[in-house]
Amino acid sequence: MPKSSAADQNVRIVRATSAFDCGGRCPLRLHIKNNVIVRVEGDDAEEPHQLRTCLRCRAYRQYIHHPERLMYPQKRVGRRGDGQFERISWDEALETLANQLKRVKKIYGNGAILLMTGGGYLASLHRGGAAAQRLLNMFGGYVTHYGNISSEGAVWASLTQYGSVMVGHSREDMLNSRLILLWGWDPARMISGTNTMYHLIRAKENGARVIAVDPRYHDTAAVVADQWVPIRPGTDTAVMVAMANVMIREKLQDQAFLDRYTVGFDRFKSYVLGEEDGMEKTPGWAAAISDVPADTIVRLAREYATTRPAALMDCQGPARSAMGEQYNRCAATLCAMTGNVGRPGGSAGGGLMGIPVAHMFRSPGIPAGKNPFELEGPKVKGTLDIRERVIKRIHINTLFDAILKGKKGGYPSDIRMAWSMCNNYLNQTGNSNKAAKALQSLEFFATQELFMTPQARYADILLPVTSTAERSDLMRPWPSGPYFMFSNRALEPLGECKDDLEIATELAARLDIKDFETHSEEDWLQRLYENSTDLKRHIRDFDRFRQEGIHRIELETPVVAFRKQIEDPENHPFDTPSGKIEIYSQRVADIVDGLCPPIPKYLPTSEDRNDPLSRKYPLQLITPHPRNRVHSEMYKVEWLRETEPHRVWINPVDAAARGITDGEEVQVFNDRGTIAIIAWVTERIIPGVVSVTEGAWYAPDADGIDRGGCANTLTRDAYSGGGAAVLNTSLVEVRRRERS
Amino acid sequence: MNQFGFYFDQTRCTGCSACRVACKDWNDIPAGPENWMRINYTEKGKCPDVFVSYLAAPCWHCEDPLCAAACPFGAIHKREEDGIVFIDRDRCVGNAACEEKCRKACPYNAPQFGPEPGAKMGKCNLCLDRIQAGEKPICVEACPVRALDAGPLETLEKQYGQTRTAVGFTYARRVKPAVVFKPKPTSP
Repeated sequence: MPKSSAADQNVRIVRATSAFDCGGRCPLRLHIKNNVIVRVEGDDAEEPHQLRTCLRCRAYRQYIHHPERLMYPQKRVGRRGDGQFERISWDEALETLANQLKRVKKIYGNGAILLMTGGGYLASLHRGGAAAQRLLNMFGGYVTHYGNISSEGAVWASLTQYGSVMVGHSREDMLNSRLILLWGWDPARMISGTNTMYHLIRAKENGARVIAVDPRYHDTAAVVADQWVPIRPGTDTAVMVAMANVMIREKLQDQAFLDRYTVGFDRFKSYVLGEEDGMEKTPGWAAAISDVPADTIVRLAREYATTRPAALMDCQGPARSAMGEQYNRCAATLCAMTGNVGRPGGSAGGGLMGIPVAHMFRSPGIPAGKNPFELEGPKVKGTLDIRERVIKRIHINTLFDAILKGKKGGYPSDIRMAWSMCNNYLNQTGNSNKAAKALQSLEFFATQELFMTPQARYADILLPVTSTAERSDLMRPWPSGPYFMFSNRALEPLGECKDDLEIATELAARLDIKDFETHSEEDWLQRLYENSTDLKRHIRDFDRFRQEGIHRIELETPVVAFRKQIEDPENHPFDTPSGKIEIYSQRVADIVDGLCPPIPKYLPTSEDRNDPLSRKYPLQLITPHPRNRVHSEMYKVEWLRETEPHRVWINPVDAAARGITDGEEVQVFNDRGTIAIIAWVTERIIPGVVSVTEGAWYAPDADGIDRGGCANTLTRDAYSGGGAAVLNTSLVEVRRRERS
Repeated sequence: MNQFGFYFDQTRCTGCSACRVACKDWNDIPAGPENWMRINYTEKGKCPDVFVSYLAAPCWHCEDPLCAAACPFGAIHKREEDGIVFIDRDRCVGNAACEEKCRKACPYNAPQFGPEPGAKMGKCNLCLDRIQAGEKPICVEACPVRALDAGPLETLEKQYGQTRTAVGFTYARRVKPAVVFKPKPTSP
């Protein structure tokens, strides 16, 4: 059968994928003609095995060939942040950056150099910052950030409870579930692994009952949920604790499971029943906190405890909050109370959803070496005491505060210059207005970028980098799969773009670093393959892997987290000090003045709904993932922008109280800033809460109003006791546009 | 005639727009008002009892296409071999000359125009190039949740039934759109 894709003899098909921080990794067949992508097709495997891409990579060519892509090096000519730049040569750009690195090192020492890396490009060879880390380590060191914005709360919770971050099941296992609780999880929007929504729909069609607990009636809920339980942000743990109360009072917990596999349930029980603090955590108690009716909580508890197997799918969004770690910890505890850990169709909770087959965390990469700046620091691997992690590094959600305050503010060093790549942290961490001030304060700022992002506008030197389509690399999906991908270079570099590795290599020569290995991309990829144990184990024929662009791993049965620990506990202890699931964590208890309790608890926090500040700012703000871009990546792509206007979700009750009508421009504001945005008046959000998707580009006008509607103009640059960025714990008010 | 048409499973659609973007990519249509595939949105009820559904809206390649009858220049015809309603862009004189008679005649808003004055009509042609190559239209291949299918209507009816209703869709008897649905129930 002739294929239409081959109709034009001048078109060649390249098998590739993207490297976005999106959760999916989808086979793409790029149609290339004269170094231009002219069309995109998806996976051509036999159904039902196709890994289907979402709308974002359907618009891939408009992203790669966008007219606003940076095509040559530039230097700032106006005031910093004004966005006025002038074209310069690579020679001048690299010489300037190299000289600044030497100058700052000589005058202030290596700790004054901040390296900002990120998730803007997730792959092996060209991974964000790997080459720069290697270079700067050889140059004497640098200060950098710790933690990721997305999932630090879930990481802490999983390490505390299980001693492992591999807490997920492969997606097909949802078909074994009789009940699925989507607790803050919206894969229709945030993807969460290619085909996840498809598998969830199949699970539903297979007879599973689905309940969504969420402030929003999101699209996942709209498609699969039998019931929506609207809940106030930051109160998930209270409802879970009350569910535990119902289970204990009605003796519904799987006590045999708890006795055999867990430690500390009695202490949790004592807290739940109020023996510890004189306050029983009843459904009525949780209802007042969460706005979830008490009888709904009772029914939820009974249903979850008596339907086997049941999968409680907690995620990372609700944990991106003050005391957010407690949500994932408490979810995992409910999974144990119902005996669903380690069982097909069940779940372990913990929010990370990763499986230990072809996991992204195990991707090979350029060896970065050790950072001399961190050598005298504490050993942080595995520690649950977040304060140890911020002795030599800066928590990602206080990065700009650290630039402003330095050592006097308790940060590891006084920062004078920054070199940045694969991130747009001004836009994507808390408090964008503060971030803008911080970037103004630097002596020098260099950025590698594809677009003039809000952060790139503050650069002194802008270095244009190649896109994924202009590179070859080894790729893996976020949490699950399982499969490996090889993305073939589809285009020769556009304009004067260089890849990050090339830039680091050329800087090495200017910094007189002799042993920075200068292999070609081809050589590096071959080396990474040779040195990766899991790639070598699964893939014998590297050339075939490259040609096909993917290696799928056939699973005889779906991966189930902790299956061995449950089926054969004598020979397979959990990787915790007790060898069991730690509902009570002695390691957490031993942290002096620790901020997290050793058992999961609901705790009031700053800027929760009962904070006195709520009199001034009565609405809670949540900032979910966008659907039509990847965080702040792809923001400029018109095919995507037109699918969904950037709007603030507001319930008709709250809109009416403020005289706001659907579709009008409003201002969302608090003491940190003001954004201008269109109102979407909808019943799909609980009263008292507004929602703005993260990732829209920060664009302050002359009055300081962010016309771009960047959610982080309103959020806090702070982190919770276990390291969670508190981006979903913000109080705001909404008003109609000010008229002059 | 072997009438081709669509199948749409409304119970699966998440409103994600992958079909719409894939359509623009395959058919090379710029961002803007010309959308051969649209997503129609329905929201009813009150929190927490809210009903939401989406409807994919391409051209349904009607058995009696009013657009073809309405075009004063004979630029739209129904193909004998597969029933695809096809626009001949060489014969279309643009919307300045005819006040978009085809769009006004169509009950489903399928004929689409770009923003430029005198824009010529464009609409879904069921990816005729792909159909002729033995492939499914790009929207069908693009759907992440497999909510779309296309092919001979008889085959679709055998596979998916003959339901011709869906939320946000009215079956117009006088044109007979070539589509079968799995509609979303409005109450549980």
